[in-house]
Amino acid sequence: MTRGNPFPPRSLRPIHRAPKWGDRIFFGLTLLGALGLASVIIAMVVSLVHGALPAFYQINFDSFLFGHIWNPDGCLPPPIGFGPCSYGALPFIVGTLVTSAIALLIAIPLALGAAIFLTQHAPLWMREPVAQIIQLLAAVPSVVYGFWALIVLVPIMATDVNPVLAQNLGWTGLFGGPHNTGLDVLTASLVLSIMTIPTITAISRDAMEAVPRSQKEAAISLGATPWEVTRRAVVPYSRSGIIAGIVLGLGRALGETMAVTMTIGNRDAIPTSLFSQGQTIASLFANEFTEAISPLEIPALIEMALLLLGICLAINIGARLVLARLQLGGRTTTE
Amino acid sequence: MSSTSGSATTPPASSDTIVRSKGKSRTGLYAVIAVVVVIVIVLAAGYAAGWFKSSGSTKSSTGTCTGPTPAVLSGAGSTLVAPLMDQWSASYTASTVGYSAVGSGSGINDITSKTVDFGASDAPLNPAQRAAIPSPGVVTIPESIGAAVPIYNLPGISGHLKFTGQILAEIYLGDMTNWNNSALQAINPGVSLPVASIVVVHRSDGSGTTFAWSSFLSASNSTWKTTLGHSTTINWPVGVGAKGNSGVTETVQSTVDAIGYVDINYALTNGVAFGAVQNPAGNYIVANLTNIASAVKDSNVVFPSPTGDWYNVTVENAPGAEDYPISTLTYLFVYKDLGAAYGSSFSLGTAENLVNFLLWIVGPTGQSYSAPLYYVPLASAAVTYDTNTINSITYNGAAIPTCVPS
Repeated sequence: MTRGNPFPPRSLRPIHRAPKWGDRIFFGLTLLGALGLASVIIAMVVSLVHGALPAFYQINFDSFLFGHIWNPDGCLPPPIGFGPCSYGALPFIVGTLVTSAIALLIAIPLALGAAIFLTQHAPLWMREPVAQIIQLLAAVPSVVYGFWALIVLVPIMATDVNPVLAQNLGWTGLFGGPHNTGLDVLTASLVLSIMTIPTITAISRDAMEAVPRSQKEAAISLGATPWEVTRRAVVPYSRSGIIAGIVLGLGRALGETMAVTMTIGNRDAIPTSLFSQGQTIASLFANEFTEAISPLEIPALIEMALLLLGICLAINIGARLVLARLQLGGRTTTE
Repeated sequence: MSSTSGSATTPPASSDTIVRSKGKSRTGLYAVIAVVVVIVIVLAAGYAAGWFKSSGSTKSSTGTCTGPTPAVLSGAGSTLVAPLMDQWSASYTASTVGYSAVGSGSGINDITSKTVDFGASDAPLNPAQRAAIPSPGVVTIPESIGAAVPIYNLPGISGHLKFTGQILAEIYLGDMTNWNNSALQAINPGVSLPVASIVVVHRSDGSGTTFAWSSFLSASNSTWKTTLGHSTTINWPVGVGAKGNSGVTETVQSTVDAIGYVDINYALTNGVAFGAVQNPAGNYIVANLTNIASAVKDSNVVFPSPTGDWYNVTVENAPGAEDYPISTLTYLFVYKDLGAAYGSSFSLGTAENLVNFLLWIVGPTGQSYSAPLYYVPLASAAVTYDTNTINSITYNGAAIPTCVPS
């Protein structure tokens, strides 16, 4: 500011007066918002724990966490229930983790590819419209994805894709068993990947857009090819944004309910192949919560909700740790 | 570097615009806050002045007698009867009836915890649920009838494929896996059944339709009876699960060689192919509202006492030559003594409103809404039984005066 400004803007004038009442109200409102949201989350955890207490007391935690059999009706006498009285959550934990993992495996390359293309290589006129269209995918309600999958994707998987996979990749053991329904872990994972792609793309794209021109120009001036610019200048700089996008996408995949319920086949067993029917924690909730008839079923379901919350928290914390590591590592290598 | 030339001219201008826009947005923020505050104050004042009070208080009863002051009644439960219940609450003018289609299990939980005035379920209370109901206990009121039909997706096969209970049980047990098997071919002569494995579709959620279906399979097959039983949820040995009648319908429609079961109204409204089922008289019956109604009538079921154990009440496998064999009653649950159950917060007037509504839905006007929505109206014997049950509901031990609008 060497030139000096004879008419400084209002907010730059020195302030020697008490804050206005409006500021106080605004401060109060923001404080209320922040505390309110924090207390909602705490209240949620408290009420979940309270709801799950009977299950904590009456179901052995090991047999809950590692039990293979979910059969709450077995706790009631015939003719309602048969078989063992068992509340095993393992099939649903496995189902949740497997579908989300496969979804990310498919979504990450596609989403990052899209983000890199849209920020580095696409002609300028194309960038905004295509990015907007991809973002639109995020606004589609999940029941619409589920319905579309059931009507369009499931028959294609059953008649065209699954037989090819079984024939060519059957030796891996991943694609075994009957595959004529198309309602299986693979289809559910595919739908989840489509649902997570827009989240990952949007956030990684924002992060890549924020890469300073100087970084890229420096790389180019050193003779880097476009691939090397992306690999050495853009991706390292936007790493934290990319990881944030992946974590958000994973969050959506872990908790997705409707689309999974409509495509996974809803079988209370650990899937033995990608063509097996399965069940995630969220889909089990959707299927059984409203019609729970045995006394401990609702508490057991709420305990499972806590478990899902725990998984999500663990992944978030893990991602933060990875980020902290990366930032530390990044500093030592670049500076 | 290119940036040095830019820094000489642009930064002052840009910082100026940023500051100015900040000032602008702050005024905007105040405006928004002011508007929000005004709206909140107006809504609060309006609430205090009674703007949002239920419109039920303005309705008047339309009977020949003078009914109680209209009240707001609440019920929850079965999704199967939800369309009919919505029609009832829309057509009934003497009270405002709110019904939440939260599922039969939740409906039973809600009546157990006394958060609703009536619960609705597609299956009767099971012994554990009955034991959980607090004093003074509930009466069971069968108010409508559902029927399950086998639906399938076999392109090229027209008409109604014939099934027996034994064949359906073997398919759902996983013992019969191919469409082209001798037992199915024997009762469907002339039909070219595909050489394809059967895709079994069942409900993934608890359901009254599953209750009807598994009761029928239990009665048809001893293995089923001794290993799987009948309930709203079954520990399915084979098949894929789909949520809701609509989920099963969509899954069967989109999967070639699939078989499923849905409530009759879903099969009729979606135009999906469904099979004829053999009844005890040996005839193969294509379900329709007439032969389901006659089946319930012919089943000569003896209803237990209103507060008794209804779990094994069945209207299936009626003896009539034209009776459809797979049907189930759906139920309402209401506390036997409303004053004792809900305490002083539940007035005699509300009790009168509740009883009047219940009498109305089992009466001629209420039941006349069933058929257009593909529900089966109650037989006259059941109507008489229900009327007596509802009239036996008391308020702190005393009979409740009734006045049923037409």
